[in-house]
Amino acid sequence: MATNPMHQFEVHRIGPEIKLAGIDLSFTNASLFMFFSAAAICAILFLGTKEKKLIPDKFQLIAEMFYNFIAKMISDTAGSKAKPYFPFIFSLFMFVLFCNMLGMLPYSFTVTSHIIVTLLMAIFIFIAVTIIGFLKHGFGYLKLFVPSGVPLILLPLITVIEIISYLSRPVSLSVRLFANMMAGHTMLKVFGGFVISLGMLGGWLPLGFSVALTGLEILVAFLQAYVFAILTCIYLNDALNLHH
Amino acid sequence: MTDQKNFKTRLKIAKDKLKNNSIITNNNENSSFIGGAFKLGTELVSAVLVGTIIGFILDTWFDTKPWLIILFFFLGSAAGILNVIKVAKKMQKKD
Repeated sequence: MATNPMHQFEVHRIGPEIKLAGIDLSFTNASLFMFFSAAAICAILFLGTKEKKLIPDKFQLIAEMFYNFIAKMISDTAGSKAKPYFPFIFSLFMFVLFCNMLGMLPYSFTVTSHIIVTLLMAIFIFIAVTIIGFLKHGFGYLKLFVPSGVPLILLPLITVIEIISYLSRPVSLSVRLFANMMAGHTMLKVFGGFVISLGMLGGWLPLGFSVALTGLEILVAFLQAYVFAILTCIYLNDALNLHH
Repeated sequence: MTDQKNFKTRLKIAKDKLKNNSIITNNNENSSFIGGAFKLGTELVSAVLVGTIIGFILDTWFDTKPWLIILFFFLGSAAGILNVIKVAKKMQKKD
């Protein structure tokens, strides 16, 4: 069973079964690793902001780097109007990043390799951005679906295409993160399996691949968290500053 | 009074320094390009997927199998290409 590359994605219950109104609310290994990442984020930020030194120590440096990184990203992509949404985007980025990074540890579980987790976050962002857009612009937000300078005959077609394009946002946002994490972890496991099955004679080549892939996966883990956050900023920018 | 003046000039110098620094750091923004490259692929696929799903739902609704799913598949493909063009334009604007 241990050589099955998909075995690592199995969700299993920890502790007693909890059922509430027919819905299974048991504590699983997925919930455990979500809790771990939330706890790690809180610990790092708490340690980083405990003593506000002029010359920062390691934890304070990490916390300040994260803060600056996200603040700069928001102001670059969505402008100063998006400042009030900083806490949301910051927690989103940190949660995805820590889930991805904790998933890189051996024997751990990658929460973001399950599409239901990423889809839930993406749908939440999608609905929130749509509500913000309607609140800021009223029905003028619908102008997003009607690009300017289109001939009247083509307008119904273009509008349908634009609506599909808009609806595809949460899908592309969630599938990207989920597919990258799942494919990467499956590949790591497959190459790990090759090392065992080829033994001392031929196992060195896949071992080298495994090491290289681990490096690549750490890059992907960071990059996907970054892409997730920056796309949220871009969608927020569309809702806040209507260009059409 | 002289202290305050001194502080104001120092603040101005520091702010100018910060401005210069931010221009320098803007130039070596490599990570956003890799991020953009990762984006393109799924943009195309997801729109086709969403278009097909909408077609499927409308088909079962109006009982017109299989015409709407075919229509919305092509509309979804068009939306996917539109998505890619939008992302590519955004990437070009950064240069």
